[in-house]
Amino acid sequence: MSATYVGAPWVDKYRPKKISDIIGNQEAVQQFVSWLKAWKPGAKPALLHGPPGVGKTVTVEVAAQELGYELIALNASDVRSADAIKRTLGPASHYGTIFGQRGRLIFLDEVDGISTAEDRGGLTAVLELIREARTPIALAANDPWDPKLRPLREACLMIRFNKVRVTQLVPFLRKICEAEGVKADERALRIIADLAEGDVRSAINDLQAVAGGRKVLKPEDVEWLRARNRQYGAFDVLKMLFMARTAKEAKEVINSSLIDYETLLQWVHENLPLQYTDPEELAKAYDALSLADVYLGRAKRKQRWELLRYFFDLMTAGVALARKGKYHFVKYQFPKKILMMSRTKKARELREEAIRIIASKCHLSRRAAKTEILPFLSIMLPTPMGQGIAKWLGLSDDMVKILVHEG
Amino acid sequence: MSFEEMVLWVEKYRPMVLDDIVNQKDVVERLKQFVKSRNIPHLLFVGPPGTGKTTAALCLVHELYGESWRQHTLELNASDERGIQTIRERVKDYARTVSMGEVPFKVIILDECDAMTADAQWSLRRIMEMFWRTTRFALIANYGSKIIEPIQSRCAIFRFSPLSKDDVAGRVRYIAEKEGVKLTDDGLEAIWNVSGGDLRRAINALQAAAALGGVVDEKTVYKVIGRATPKEVREMVEKALSGKFMEAREALYRLIMEYGLSGPDIVRQVHTEVFNLKIPEEAKAEIANMVGEIDHRLVEGANEDIQLSALLAQLVKYGQLLRQKSAA
Repeated sequence: MSATYVGAPWVDKYRPKKISDIIGNQEAVQQFVSWLKAWKPGAKPALLHGPPGVGKTVTVEVAAQELGYELIALNASDVRSADAIKRTLGPASHYGTIFGQRGRLIFLDEVDGISTAEDRGGLTAVLELIREARTPIALAANDPWDPKLRPLREACLMIRFNKVRVTQLVPFLRKICEAEGVKADERALRIIADLAEGDVRSAINDLQAVAGGRKVLKPEDVEWLRARNRQYGAFDVLKMLFMARTAKEAKEVINSSLIDYETLLQWVHENLPLQYTDPEELAKAYDALSLADVYLGRAKRKQRWELLRYFFDLMTAGVALARKGKYHFVKYQFPKKILMMSRTKKARELREEAIRIIASKCHLSRRAAKTEILPFLSIMLPTPMGQGIAKWLGLSDDMVKILVHEG
Repeated sequence: MSFEEMVLWVEKYRPMVLDDIVNQKDVVERLKQFVKSRNIPHLLFVGPPGTGKTTAALCLVHELYGESWRQHTLELNASDERGIQTIRERVKDYARTVSMGEVPFKVIILDECDAMTADAQWSLRRIMEMFWRTTRFALIANYGSKIIEPIQSRCAIFRFSPLSKDDVAGRVRYIAEKEGVKLTDDGLEAIWNVSGGDLRRAINALQAAAALGGVVDEKTVYKVIGRATPKEVREMVEKALSGKFMEAREALYRLIMEYGLSGPDIVRQVHTEVFNLKIPEEAKAEIANMVGEIDHRLVEGANEDIQLSALLAQLVKYGQLLRQKSAA
């Protein structure tokens, strides 16, 4: 059905290609461009700071491209111990210029994510790099006021990026809708822009989630995004959970979270495979999570709420202790199931209605109608014979469309 | 063929009178006695799918009440009703009014009784007694052993035997002739092979093959069966075994949300797929064991996408182990 996720993520598809494509923060963008144009050895590196999704990274990328720099980038998911930084960036920063090229731009994204505990000496290495660099260095951070970044702040030119305003976001979202052939209601776009709180990336993601595959976008189509926004705390909870080193630490997550436990179960479920890419870890963690689910089911069905404690144990400690190595930062995701459920809602309802009709016409249970009649019916429906049968059954055109898709 | 008044052949050729039922001679003879005496006990029809149980019940009420059979019959399906309470309510409402006409009771056809829990069946037994004066139950199940003793002992039990190849082939050929479908011998043979003795499946396969136009032969029958068996389950399993967990899980979500398959449906299809996969034989039994555990949990009421994801994660692990083994 058309609701199926097709093609590239829109954040990539509509990523700015030129400096002039960037929306919002024009002043900061210009400040960065001037800095890069004017850079000469001895000049300060630039530290771009501001909330997520406002264009820090993309500014560096397109500016480098447009001004002819080769970009060498490291971000938070890379290993960033002192050694790793020196190994990868050291040579690049020393022997900057290759004949025929303007030079290299070194970019360290998410520097506030360099943890002093795990990336040992990481910050010291960055400072050293800055001191010795003979190429321009750009850094980006969400929160530059972290005390551990003080030495960096002092060494850098600070360029501030602000939240992108709703009035700038809405026209941009409308342009995407036009390109995708979606007729979007102004109010719907406004809701998306409001909820994004200045984060362009999340606005585009939300737009694709609600508008992808549709022809029309109405305010009621985006309502569920509001409910989702209330769950934002989940990201922090997940991080705490997956970082836990002991069973006790993991169990504390339950008390520190305002999210209800069944929602948390969905979040853990969604993000397990992102956190655990090793098959053995993944299998072990899912084993624990599926057992947690069994306890939850027993507690609910038998109203034996004291069983919930075992559910909590397995969902937290069981999942966290499946980790063999050390914790790695990953970008957590909103549960896709909830997203897909909302996008396929109408199709599912039509389908269920069609099955009810078939079941009663053929003296079957709905389950039997689904497994015994539907597979054959969906082959017949596109044929001339099928048109007659659809009429006899009393299936609407929309229902036929959905059933045919599955054949 | 005129497509204007096309219907599903399983319904068009569903017998209206007991004598037209394919085979099941013993059952039919006894039921005809009941019709003659204008009185029936509670009935329990037991037998494999597609052997005529529901048809026999419908023929029975048709012969008892004639054209107005619908006014005297309540059709319920145990697997569709939300628990025994709703069944009780519907039976109570229905049984309240007395049946007019020469037959002093109404018939309640309750299909898929073996889907009911033992607790629900005990309640059903009480309902059957409560409304004994005004209603008779025709209970239908695949497995008699899943029906509790006290219900069995209150019913006249009818066992529907599996249909023979001649029964199925004869009926299919009859329909093909009536509908002007060119059916080859190997086509008929193929239909018998894919039917598993289930006449409904055989007729559906015939009609779907005929709908494609042209002669119904071996090739078209297998084409239809291939299309009617979702490949998605196998693809999901193969993705998992090759280590692509995220893709496998997305396929799972689609099966649940777009295809509307239930967790147990998927688990059982995974089970049949396991034995078709190119993996070492000894692994198959191990995976079957895992699948069985998940099936059990789902029947208990566990969350289907978490349980099935856990199964996929196990398959990913197995896939890697197997690759390591074959590399060594």
